[in-house]
Amino acid sequence: MDNQRCGSFEYSTPLVYLGLKLISKLFHKKYQIAVTLVIGGVLLALWKPFVLIEGLQVAGLYAAIALPMALILGIVGIINLAHGDFMMLGAYLAYRFTVYTGADPLVAIFPVSLGLFLIGMATYRGTIKYMHGAPELIQLLLTFGIAIILQQLANLLWTSHPVSIHVGYASASATIGSFTFGTYGFVYVAAAILVFIGLFLFLRRTRIGQAALATGQNPIGAKLVGINIDRIYLLIFSISIALVGAMSVLFLTRHSIFPHVGGIFTLKSFCLAAMAGLGNLTGILWASLILGLAESFVKSFMGYAGWADIIFFLLIIVVIMVGSYRRRVT
Amino acid sequence: MAILETKSLTKGFGGLIALKEVSFELFENEILGIIGPNGAGKTTLTNVISGIYLPSSGKIVFNGMDISELPTHTRSKLGIGRTFQIARPLQGLSVLQNVMLGSLFGRGNSLKVARKEAKEICDFLGLGQIERGITKLTVLEIKKMEIARALAIQPKILFLDEVMAGLNIDETKEMIESVQKIRAQGISICVIEHVMSVIRELTERVIVLDRGEKIAEGPYEKVSENPHVISAYLGEEE
Amino acid sequence: MKNWRYIIYTFITAIAILFPFYTGTYLQHTASTILIYLSLALSWDMLLRAGQISFGIAGFFGIGGYAAALTHLRWGIDPFLSIILGGLAAFFIAFLLGLVVLHLRGLYFAIVTLAIAEIFRVIVRNLHSLTGGPEGSVLPSAIFNGDPSKVYWLVLTLAIITIIVSEVFQRTRIHFATTTIRNDELVAKSSGINIFKYLVFIFAITSALQGMIGASYTHQYAFVTPEETFHIHFTLLPIAMCLLGGMYTTIGPVVGALVLGTIADYLKLQLPYGHLLVYGIVIVVVILFVPKGIVGTIKEQLERRK
Repeated sequence: MDNQRCGSFEYSTPLVYLGLKLISKLFHKKYQIAVTLVIGGVLLALWKPFVLIEGLQVAGLYAAIALPMALILGIVGIINLAHGDFMMLGAYLAYRFTVYTGADPLVAIFPVSLGLFLIGMATYRGTIKYMHGAPELIQLLLTFGIAIILQQLANLLWTSHPVSIHVGYASASATIGSFTFGTYGFVYVAAAILVFIGLFLFLRRTRIGQAALATGQNPIGAKLVGINIDRIYLLIFSISIALVGAMSVLFLTRHSIFPHVGGIFTLKSFCLAAMAGLGNLTGILWASLILGLAESFVKSFMGYAGWADIIFFLLIIVVIMVGSYRRRVT
Repeated sequence: MAILETKSLTKGFGGLIALKEVSFELFENEILGIIGPNGAGKTTLTNVISGIYLPSSGKIVFNGMDISELPTHTRSKLGIGRTFQIARPLQGLSVLQNVMLGSLFGRGNSLKVARKEAKEICDFLGLGQIERGITKLTVLEIKKMEIARALAIQPKILFLDEVMAGLNIDETKEMIESVQKIRAQGISICVIEHVMSVIRELTERVIVLDRGEKIAEGPYEKVSENPHVISAYLGEEE
Repeated sequence: MKNWRYIIYTFITAIAILFPFYTGTYLQHTASTILIYLSLALSWDMLLRAGQISFGIAGFFGIGGYAAALTHLRWGIDPFLSIILGGLAAFFIAFLLGLVVLHLRGLYFAIVTLAIAEIFRVIVRNLHSLTGGPEGSVLPSAIFNGDPSKVYWLVLTLAIITIIVSEVFQRTRIHFATTTIRNDELVAKSSGINIFKYLVFIFAITSALQGMIGASYTHQYAFVTPEETFHIHFTLLPIAMCLLGGMYTTIGPVVGALVLGTIADYLKLQLPYGHLLVYGIVIVVVILFVPKGIVGTIKEQLERRK
């Protein structure tokens, strides 16, 4: 861990402010965020490289989990408060699979994804299907109930004692100069990019994907042109849960799991989806970068590690407030 | 005396300009007609004046006071009433309770006073059986309830947004009489309508909107012969 | 016609007050717990009537709990007074937060309340010197030295206060305001309702109730910790109870709390690990099949028979 104590905190704040002002003057709005991130990234690399690495990796994890939620939000139009808990379920299934077969945990990606695809289907057919016309309140409460069921089921079946798996390659590391860092975490970045590209191609280039996009934008219109929107909803929901399942396996390889581990990911995914704006998949990548780096950054100040959790809660609130303020003023 | 005046009122939604520099006056105790083809901005104008939307630019002056930035509920309390084009009866409340709202909150009356006033308004409009729920009302009754609700705030000006739509001849006649009765109480009224016979009978003056702009103003007979107005309704000539 | 209702209510209240005289400590303890959740469920419903879901009950419950604990611990404030202080603390914090976040609606407001509750928990966990950090603080003694019947009466009093507040909300203009705001904000605004003012007011009051309940809970068990005092339990159960009993009424959450509370207590003995599962199932099943809750469905059936 980086033990650098940052005494220059007080000086850096006005500098950061001036820097941001400069960027907003020099660059067109679209590029401001990107430029800020790039410059910020470079500065971080020089000052606290560990923060940059860890931030990137954790950003990848967040993005890979948030993208499927954005998919459900954008196309099926439902807020899935049980999102992170499906991930928890997948992680437990992967764990049991690994323990039972003795195979390398990554092998579990296939059965777990399939399993979660089916579970997603069952969940949709059994409950979510009926929620389309219902008031938002009811949707929230329903998925909240599902989340609780998943958590408690896990508690019942596997107790609340955390479990984990140790794989040798998870501690792989590389060294640049005098700086050593873990490399396995980049798996998450790779996963995020893969999921993103996969979804992008699926939605733009395949017929089903395009039908899904159409359904998301205008369900009635889609129905009129003959798209079976019920089938689309079922498919998209199940795919999303399956993706979450795949990610859960990766998650298992590096984290210990317990029944409530998923809740925070639901919140973070929602935060990212809100930041990015509805239907904006690219935005999620940027947003997770910001979130991941911010969290990592705060964690690096020794005394403040406990506060790192708040970062993202505050971020959620700020994002939602800013978004609603913009909507109010128009 | 102009009780309401808009000055170059403009409202844009993103790229779409719904109202473009609309200026008009509503005089005390008059019935002003607002007509124009679909999408001309009539309801938007009502929404901006009642405060549902804030204007992009321009001013709204009510009784000499600039109300352009005030929130909706304040404007209602000041005396701007309106009905909704697509009626919005409130579930969970009876007809009487629906009407009581304006008196309760617009005028700050007690429940007892509000109930009494609401009953009087319902009688005034010929709206009966007021203790029942809103699910089985006829079109005429829904319209009357909308108006009653607006009257409960004791408005000084009232916007009636297509209240005649969907009424048969007898019902329309009854409604016209009600509107005239309302005006007799001292309330200035803006009638937004598509039914020209109603406009002809009710209003002294008319303004015409087309694509967000005011294109004509004056008594109905004059305005209906205005070539711009005719082409606006019939569409552009080739 | 109305009188027989009041007679029944008085009768029930009398039974409730006399409860400890004919029951043992275990039942009194159970009843106290049920009453706590009953009050929370009712306070949640009051905000729901205005159309807003809060996932932050635990947050204000915990604020009240900690405020009561710390004032009692550090300044020797009398337990009863500290309960009131707990309520006041929750009130002011909710009021200030409400001014900021009550422009939000629906999902966004719900998520923000959840975030707020979590933030409270993290803040409390990190302020070691003030709150005792993750290990929390222990009070010198439980209120009434743990006498279950006195604890029961304390909790019953708070429950009755909550019921009274709920009924006041139902019988005054507040009922009109909340029903209108919930159903159609446009009509609300046009009728002169200052939506923001009402929402902040209701949010602050219901949070204050939750704070007082949290304070009484703290004194009952004589300790506070971030994990226990801000437990999601205190958000989850009240919601399930309210849904089961029927939203938008006083009697709904009460019935829901009694039914679910009794079942839950029985289940806790049978399934020590997953009994919370039942709450999740209740929520899902109720939403899918009995969305109006027990009371709502009964009312509907009675209307149909007329």
